[in-house]
Amino acid sequence: MIEIKNIMKKYGNGPIAVNDVTETMSKRVTTLIGRNGAGKTTLLRMLSTQLMPTSGTAVINGHDIIKEPHKVRNSIVSIPQEASPIGILTPYEQVRMYLIGRRFSLSDASLAARQALETVGLEISMHSPSDTLSGGMKRKMFVAIALASNAEIVFLDEPTTGLDPLSRLEVWSAIKKLDGNILLTTHYMEEAENLSDEVFLQDAGKIIERGTVKKLLKKFSGKIRVESQSPLDGSTMLGGMHILYDIVENAEKHVKNGANVKKITLDDLFIMRGVDLEY
Amino acid sequence: MNIRFIFTFAWYYGVKIFSRGPSYVIASLTTPLSLLFIVYVLTQGKLVEFAVVGGMISLIGSIGLQSAGDATFMKLQLRVQEMYVASAVTPIDYMLALTMSFLTFSIPGIVVYTVLGTIFGLYNTVTALSMVFLIVMLTLSTSAIAFIISGLVKHVRNVWGIVGILSIIMTVIPPTFYPYTDLQNFSTSLIYILSISPVTPAAISAQIIFGLEPWNMAILTYSLLTLVAETVIYFAIAKYLIRWREN
Repeated sequence: MIEIKNIMKKYGNGPIAVNDVTETMSKRVTTLIGRNGAGKTTLLRMLSTQLMPTSGTAVINGHDIIKEPHKVRNSIVSIPQEASPIGILTPYEQVRMYLIGRRFSLSDASLAARQALETVGLEISMHSPSDTLSGGMKRKMFVAIALASNAEIVFLDEPTTGLDPLSRLEVWSAIKKLDGNILLTTHYMEEAENLSDEVFLQDAGKIIERGTVKKLLKKFSGKIRVESQSPLDGSTMLGGMHILYDIVENAEKHVKNGANVKKITLDDLFIMRGVDLEY
Repeated sequence: MNIRFIFTFAWYYGVKIFSRGPSYVIASLTTPLSLLFIVYVLTQGKLVEFAVVGGMISLIGSIGLQSAGDATFMKLQLRVQEMYVASAVTPIDYMLALTMSFLTFSIPGIVVYTVLGTIFGLYNTVTALSMVFLIVMLTLSTSAIAFIISGLVKHVRNVWGIVGILSIIMTVIPPTFYPYTDLQNFSTSLIYILSISPVTPAAISAQIIFGLEPWNMAILTYSLLTLVAETVIYFAIAKYLIRWREN
């Protein structure tokens, strides 16, 4: 359970990165979504005790991140955005090394490292130098670290950014095998829909919406997204495209007129707010 | 302190990396061995013992400083440090683990210089134990300076230039390859200025302990105390500047 209390972060004279957030996160998989610079990584780094908040605090499994960081660190694992393996070492060596850092015994670390790497599908390449692995395999190595650590809370910052669709599916599958509660950030709405029990939408440092995917999309109930190169009645120009939200019954008419009709997804939360989004 | 982690990290990041890519270690030997050759030729062998003892000191110092590159790369590029921050590993564990790794990189150089020192008849129990002490203190102090650099540098690319400059200033200019008394005769205050590098008190101590220079208790005490104090101070500063939990 993560209880965030009026947490705020300001970098020097720059803008406020996280602005007075107070939330409770208790679901198994919680996802933070938001555009680039929304403050997702800053919030995650504060919660995982890597970054000191400017004000406010959070309590993770009963321990305050400011006053008891050591106790918090014993129960979490954090995989940073764009983390890379040490190329010359093998996945097995790196997972084992990390686990020994978490005070696993040598034999327990060996066993847990091997099992976790097998679980994420790296049984064949676990003894190959990491710089010979594909991008997906490297990310899976980090998921194996999280898996083997048996942490109660796992922080994953954009775990699939830059991966091809198949690699992404493989990493999702590995993430689903994690035991603890997970807080992840992502730009991929499909990822949020696939993995999350609850989604938090962050914008300009604030949490502006939260709920299950179903709840968040309720406002779009009975609607479709229509995209067209030419203007439509009531459409808005966004990202070089004319976009309109219309009722499902009008779908056929739009298709006949050459427009693209799309099912509502979490992408639409962004589009409605007129923000850019990585598909 | 997580001793098991420190040694495991040193095993993987030191021994394994050395065995899989020894070029880094060989490269670090190049400068002190070249200087040894130059000193031998220029002094017609008169100062070669200084260069053998000083070469060891210089090598340890330069490998310690060059580790700033690794520490910065692990922090800014690989994000390995971030992962360890959010775990049971403490900054001291992490710094000692990396320091142990760098000490491992020094082993081939230590072997080469020990063999040379033995050939020149420089080693006995006292000098050997003193050299071990100096190596440990130098590794700790120069690695601490490396962590200070890695904490201050914002871009990986900058670190290589900074380390190159510091390596020359802190390991070649101090009296490593020539008698410290020559420097003392030239300018006493320069010794104090150069003492900011732990290599200087280590080299002066070694020259006195190895009998290359006349016994001088006052200067030996001063040098050893400076070396110990610098190790403690640089490590304390590094613990702060490593930015384990960033502000």
